[in-house]
Amino acid sequence: MATTAAPAPIGTHAGASYGHGEPTGIWSWLTTVDHKRIGTLYLWTALTFFLVGGIEALIMRMQLMGPNGQLVSAEVFNQLFTMHGTTMVFLAIMPLSAAFFNYLIPLQIGARDVAFPRLNAFSYWVYLFGGIFMTVPIFFSAAPNAGWFGYAPLTTMQFSGGLNIDFWVIGLQILGISSLAAAFNFITTIINMRAPGMTLMRMPIFTWMSFVVQFLLILAFPAITVALVFLLFDRFFGTQFYELAAGADPLLWQHLFWVFGHPEVYILILPAFGLASEILPTFSKKPLFGYNVMVYSGIMIGFLGFGVWAHHMFAVGMGATADTIFAMATLLIGIPTGVKIFNWIATMWGGQLRFVTAMKFAVAMVALFTIGGISGVMHASPPTDLQQTDTYFIVAHFHYVLFGGSIMGIMGGIYFYFPKMTGRYLSEKLGSLHFWFFFIGMNVTFFPMHYSGMLGMPRRIYTYDAGQGWDQFNWWSTIGTILMFVGAIFFIINFFKSRKAGAIAPNDAWGAGTLEWSIPSPPPDYNFAQLPVVTSRYPLWDLKHPEMTADIAHSAPDEMTITDSHAVPMHEETEYKTAKELGIPMPFPTIKPLFAALFLVVMFSGLIFIHVGMFALAMTITIGGAALFVGTLYGWLTSPLE
Amino acid sequence: MKRTPRRRLASALVVAAAGLTLAACGQEYPNSTFLHNSEINTDIIALWDRILFMGTLVFIVVEALLIFTIFRFRAKPGAPMPKQVHGNHTLEIVWTLIPVLILIPIAVPTVKTIFKTQAPAVSDALQVEVYGHQWWWEFRYPEYGVTTANELYLPAGRTVNFTLRTVDVIHSFWAPGLAGKRDLISNKTNHMWYTPDAKLVESAFNGFCTEYCGESHANMRFRVFTTTPENFESWAAHQNGPAALSPGAMAAQAAADSATVRAVSRASVVPAPAPAPAPTMNAGYVFPADKLPAHTVPKTPIPARITFDDNLLAQGDASRGHDLMTNLANLGKAPCMTCHVIRGEMALITDAQATGPSLTHFGSRHTFGGGLFPTNASNLARWVKNAQIMKPGTTMNTFGIGEYSPLMKGNVTAGLSDAEIADIVAYLLSLK
Repeated sequence: MATTAAPAPIGTHAGASYGHGEPTGIWSWLTTVDHKRIGTLYLWTALTFFLVGGIEALIMRMQLMGPNGQLVSAEVFNQLFTMHGTTMVFLAIMPLSAAFFNYLIPLQIGARDVAFPRLNAFSYWVYLFGGIFMTVPIFFSAAPNAGWFGYAPLTTMQFSGGLNIDFWVIGLQILGISSLAAAFNFITTIINMRAPGMTLMRMPIFTWMSFVVQFLLILAFPAITVALVFLLFDRFFGTQFYELAAGADPLLWQHLFWVFGHPEVYILILPAFGLASEILPTFSKKPLFGYNVMVYSGIMIGFLGFGVWAHHMFAVGMGATADTIFAMATLLIGIPTGVKIFNWIATMWGGQLRFVTAMKFAVAMVALFTIGGISGVMHASPPTDLQQTDTYFIVAHFHYVLFGGSIMGIMGGIYFYFPKMTGRYLSEKLGSLHFWFFFIGMNVTFFPMHYSGMLGMPRRIYTYDAGQGWDQFNWWSTIGTILMFVGAIFFIINFFKSRKAGAIAPNDAWGAGTLEWSIPSPPPDYNFAQLPVVTSRYPLWDLKHPEMTADIAHSAPDEMTITDSHAVPMHEETEYKTAKELGIPMPFPTIKPLFAALFLVVMFSGLIFIHVGMFALAMTITIGGAALFVGTLYGWLTSPLE
Repeated sequence: MKRTPRRRLASALVVAAAGLTLAACGQEYPNSTFLHNSEINTDIIALWDRILFMGTLVFIVVEALLIFTIFRFRAKPGAPMPKQVHGNHTLEIVWTLIPVLILIPIAVPTVKTIFKTQAPAVSDALQVEVYGHQWWWEFRYPEYGVTTANELYLPAGRTVNFTLRTVDVIHSFWAPGLAGKRDLISNKTNHMWYTPDAKLVESAFNGFCTEYCGESHANMRFRVFTTTPENFESWAAHQNGPAALSPGAMAAQAAADSATVRAVSRASVVPAPAPAPAPTMNAGYVFPADKLPAHTVPKTPIPARITFDDNLLAQGDASRGHDLMTNLANLGKAPCMTCHVIRGEMALITDAQATGPSLTHFGSRHTFGGGLFPTNASNLARWVKNAQIMKPGTTMNTFGIGEYSPLMKGNVTAGLSDAEIADIVAYLLSLK
């Protein structure tokens, strides 16, 4: 990547994105294999989908603002709530987390890139094309309409004959490929590419939580992949996994889906926990309280997350024994989660708290996730869940978890890492407005839903009758959604303005302790000119504030781990040189991952034509796409990496 | 201390939450899940109260601690570097045990309640079979030979054992005012029981489908009427009988010559089409229309695009309607009996084959269309004319000549004129 450009002046700070002698322009983005650029692409794309999902939510809230609303039809509303859920889970929150995995994991562990840079680009392009594939049908009122959970038998041809479900089942299958490829990549990266001396228990806590999430991904996605393959074959090739006439048990789908679906919740929340765990210590001027316990509780949450799936199914009649087992397992998750909350508070306790926007979001995450956790216990108990499941109480609960937890944590992460990514700070003034509108709007939207739910309002209804006692709560929920939208507008303004005109950020924008802050903002394409040798959990504090890490164990770097000739003692890097000048081999940019992803999506999308009666065309597209995909892979595998 | 904006906000939020809670207690919330109307719900509420108490405790402690921390430890200019604390094993063990101590008093009654509520129902329970259809409810009382739709009658004080099945996709049966829900799973039979409290001798509840089941999921509603055991027996005995105008009913009418007519007030019906052969037979108990609570009377808007001259309804003739619906010669334009059953009339299909609700005692129901509309001539005429506009996705035919049918994606050519619809409406309403 550094082959074409003139070297930037050494020792100056450009302060603008990607200005360090690296090529810019569309082509450089399409061919990039730089984890930071891929992270940036993830961020932009995921924020766009977040806005799309938000607009879907706003339309739904306008419809439900009063009884017997007539803004949209039943069919459109059903597509909206299906796509809102699917978009927010698979196209917004997961990729927002992926943006941070991509951008931060190599920086935090002191690596020059991920283990498989081209596979990384492939993951992104599959996500982008898969996301477009799923989203575009909504503009033709042909979007998926059976809920993000897609329960059989509603999704079978017998009950959903149109193309709607085809887009959903194929789209999710495509997105699964993206997530799995990325997960293997990050696991390999974290295990193999840590800086000398960075033992597992010295990894930054965000990397740790990401590490746990990658395992959740590779263990959870196969379950939904199987479920989706069954459905896909039922719909296209006449198998009978979910066909009622053939005696299918629809609970097969529910079990497979939730074996994936519950760990998915932790896939969505653990990265936000990781981000908050980076932000809180930094702005408390204190290390994370109980690092070990934070790591173990994250692992514990991930582990227990696989044993609780059937708590989504207490109403299906599994019997008292199964209900009991899953209820108890669910309650157990409250323990490591509670520990995390106490540890975050203890991190702040006795500190010198600085309430920049990132810190506000992180503290709000702790406060709001607590509420979501408490209401979670309320339906962990099957008898009470029978009055709560599939009502607005559940909608309130998981929005406190996913908006209050995931989104607040991720927004904190964006304010925290924006200076690293762009070399400029986001505006604190606009950030504060963004935060308060989000925080207040979020509560005004979702808190009343606890009431509407317990007062009998079912979920996923496009309308409700007057005089049911729900009107005032729904009115408030809609007002809150509008407030959140105002917040989102402040964020968009802030994002675009600060990219060009924000205050210049130095290497260490906030006084944090981990490796990513020891290199320039934005980092050069090779990240670290010289790989630092790490002797504790907070290498940058070791360097700049040794008094802050005096109490924790430092070990002399293990000689055996230092095999890289570039490894030098912990230091800060301020010079901008090109990779070429430094003699660092960089992977070649290549368009092949993009084409591989495109042909993969083409291959899958050919199936759609089977259901419009064009079998020959379908086969041509599918087989043609497959052939091109394999051909591109061949070219990819036979071209040198660097 | 100065009141900062944040502090004002915090107190505003507390006031708002308290206000919401008070509002929830003070006003009437007809579908509330906090009504002690069955022993099952009383158990659920007891469990809820305990969890809510624990949850509120945790909420107050954690949020108070958090708020205290963010105010107390705000950065002060020139303050020294804080003491660097990396952890504290004792503290961490303590707050690992705190959740354990909170969860045990939740877990123990949870398990007890699970086994209590999921035990088999008492053997003398009333048996009710619930069948889910896209998008309406069928209720069968096997002991009484009754099949009805969207309106469930239960005797107060007697345990009812629901057998839950679906003919298509998954649904969920829920009357929040009485107890929790249970899913109706395709190819599977579920059970649930509860006992409506003996005090509920004249109560009405709303019920909902709570498992997303397709386009009109929101329109799959039902009513539960609880009454005295005597009234229930009266209702069931009548519902078991044949339709009012059928040959069987004529005979029954002749037999019951001096029977007391239980006139049922039907305020919502448009002034009476009084058809000549209207039988005066002993109508069974029906939940009195004037006692219907407001929340059980649907206020679903009628789509303006279905036009019907309501003056025609006064001329509707039930016997002509009877002929239209049940005479094989009219099957081409009014194929009602290919989906519906009217007991005592020409039977093209069996009860089990019926894809539409039984119409045998249609006129005795307060609502129709999956609980969407009050039963009156005006609503019913529009429904027969073009149900697909009134309820998205319904498979009920569009019958009005010239009407657009979203299902067929075209205009109806062989259908019914408005006058014929008025006749059918008159007949349907006579099916008390």
